[in-house]
Amino acid sequence: MNTVLSRANSLFAFSLSVMAALTFGCFVTTAFKDRRVPVDIHVSRVMLKNVDDFTGPRERSALGFVTFDLSADILAFFDWNVKQLFIYLSAEYTTRSNALNQVVLWDKIVLRGESTKLNLRDMKSKYFFFDDGNGLRANKNITLTLSWNVVPNAGILPLVAGSGHVSLPFPDMYESTKSY
Amino acid sequence: MLSIFKTIPSHMDYKGQKLAEQIFQGIILISAVIGFVFGLFVEQFGWTVYIVLAGFAVSCVLTLPPWPMYRKNPLSWQPPLPEMSSEPSQKPQETTKKKKHK
Repeated sequence: MNTVLSRANSLFAFSLSVMAALTFGCFVTTAFKDRRVPVDIHVSRVMLKNVDDFTGPRERSALGFVTFDLSADILAFFDWNVKQLFIYLSAEYTTRSNALNQVVLWDKIVLRGESTKLNLRDMKSKYFFFDDGNGLRANKNITLTLSWNVVPNAGILPLVAGSGHVSLPFPDMYESTKSY
Repeated sequence: MLSIFKTIPSHMDYKGQKLAEQIFQGIILISAVIGFVFGLFVEQFGWTVYIVLAGFAVSCVLTLPPWPMYRKNPLSWQPPLPEMSSEPSQKPQETTKKKKHK
């Protein structure tokens, strides 16, 4: 501790250890928090097409188009250990060939500091809702759930399912695809 | 360029070093506690980091340069032996011994 460099060295190392302890304390204060927020989903329109899926099997597969409304208040989510949220809407259903199918339809990244009231109307799905086969036609029960990934400053990344979900049946007939 | 920095004296005596270490550890711990409570209250971890960095800067200013308060207890060296031509072998040993104490 006699020269400036050795004093600076011990000062800096002590500061880093204290910062590490504070980060661990930050993680501990939010590790066991219940992160569920009520969510309101409403589907306004569903359309079903039968098209060629060039990435899958060679027969025509079912392609669904879902238009939905979404409203949620996620202000309670952003405590001091949350850096951003990754929200996604997924559809779950059962077909004859598979017991459980899960397809992600739409997602969004909500950064800290952006507006925390989600009020989306008439949103189209971002990703294709393809089924491998024709299991979507006349499917009685397709459940849309909103889930999110919490990206923290320090600690584990919990995956939470929202508490609102919507089940809806799909139409019985395919729409004919128009070609221009 | 580094030789310029080596000519600036930056030593402290032992009690001064102990005082400097206590000072910076105390300042950083206090700023850590304040920062943790403040960040928890404002719900932003960035404030905690800023407060700890401020504590780090304050303790840098207080403990890195050799202020006079760290030189209050200098070591009392023995007075140098007078130059005697009859003992040429002992003198260099004693002067080299004194030079090693920093």
